[in-house]
Amino acid sequence: MARFPRIPTFLAAALLAALPLSAGTYNAVAEIGDPLPAFSDLPATDGSALSASELTEDVVVLVFLANHCPWVRGMDGDLVKLVDSFEGESVRFVGVSVNHREEDRLPAMKEHAAETGYRFTYVFDESQELGRALGATRTPEYFVFDADRALVYMGAIHDSPAQESSDGSIDYTQGEPTVHYVADAIRAALAGEPVATAETRAHGCSVEYEG
Amino acid sequence: MRHLLLLLAALALPAPSAARPVLQPVTHPEWREVLAGHQGDLVVVDFWATWCLPCIERFPRMVELSERYADEGVTFIAFSLDDRDDAGAMAMAGSFIAEQGGRIEHYVTADVIPVAFEHLDLLGIPAVKIYARDGTLARTLDADDPNHQFTDEDVEAAIVELLAD
Repeated sequence: MARFPRIPTFLAAALLAALPLSAGTYNAVAEIGDPLPAFSDLPATDGSALSASELTEDVVVLVFLANHCPWVRGMDGDLVKLVDSFEGESVRFVGVSVNHREEDRLPAMKEHAAETGYRFTYVFDESQELGRALGATRTPEYFVFDADRALVYMGAIHDSPAQESSDGSIDYTQGEPTVHYVADAIRAALAGEPVATAETRAHGCSVEYEG
Repeated sequence: MRHLLLLLAALALPAPSAARPVLQPVTHPEWREVLAGHQGDLVVVDFWATWCLPCIERFPRMVELSERYADEGVTFIAFSLDDRDDAGAMAMAGSFIAEQGGRIEHYVTADVIPVAFEHLDLLGIPAVKIYARDGTLARTLDADDPNHQFTDEDVEAAIVELLAD
């Protein structure tokens, strides 16, 4: 039987603490480095249909959304600002709705996109194949792909999840966000540099898969 | 949130004030004490919140299970991950559990919600944890894998299996 050199417990703990977060820590399916899953003809709120082969920008950001979710609504403003902040750069944002409940289907998506000012393609993944392929289980949950269409980041938009409260106000659970994980990942990917934080917990509502 | 208000309004029934359940706020250390106090019983913990539609939809099933198994040495606990500082959410949660009934103890996190998830080792809800009679965690049922999201039947099957141990 192979034997490994013993490392003192305190040293092993220190080494583990110093290691970057391993891929897949918070995702049962996807790992950092995975390719963008193929998808085709997903219907969008603007009446078009989107296929993975049409994505020609240097960076692609998929964000899983659910209109009904107070955490999505709480961070919609941050999403809109994020998209605006990369205007004119080679970044493509695609929103994806997966749930089958009426509040999250195409007619409601159209309404929500218009009300919220989504300025990106927002598609309905009725087969749920794209969501399953990426292990997307929270809304909102972000997946950033680089120019090679390799996954370089997955998780939350930033470090202070926000919820729409019962009175309609927005409540940042941990104050103003200070680390903007998705924006940082996009900038790194655009520069061809490694992403410092490749995975975080995506806090929000659970995606409901059929069957 | 409008749909949720409508849903809760539709479900709301007058509850006798004497039997109105209390949502007890707990920090994580206090929660550990609550669990420790139930050693000897099988403990089924349903993690839910008013902002979680599937949690609300599944809640009646947990009520049924509590009525079926409470006399067999099973303690049922509903742990809310609502924002305790959101008075509207807390009022909705209180009305909801009063209307639902069941033989269930109720707690709500006193921690910041995402921090509570980390302390509880949860990525999302709905989720159910079942603790064995010796207090150890025996089962975690969650929705974290798209290909293996738990069902109501899974919860009852786990209870039956653990009761037989």
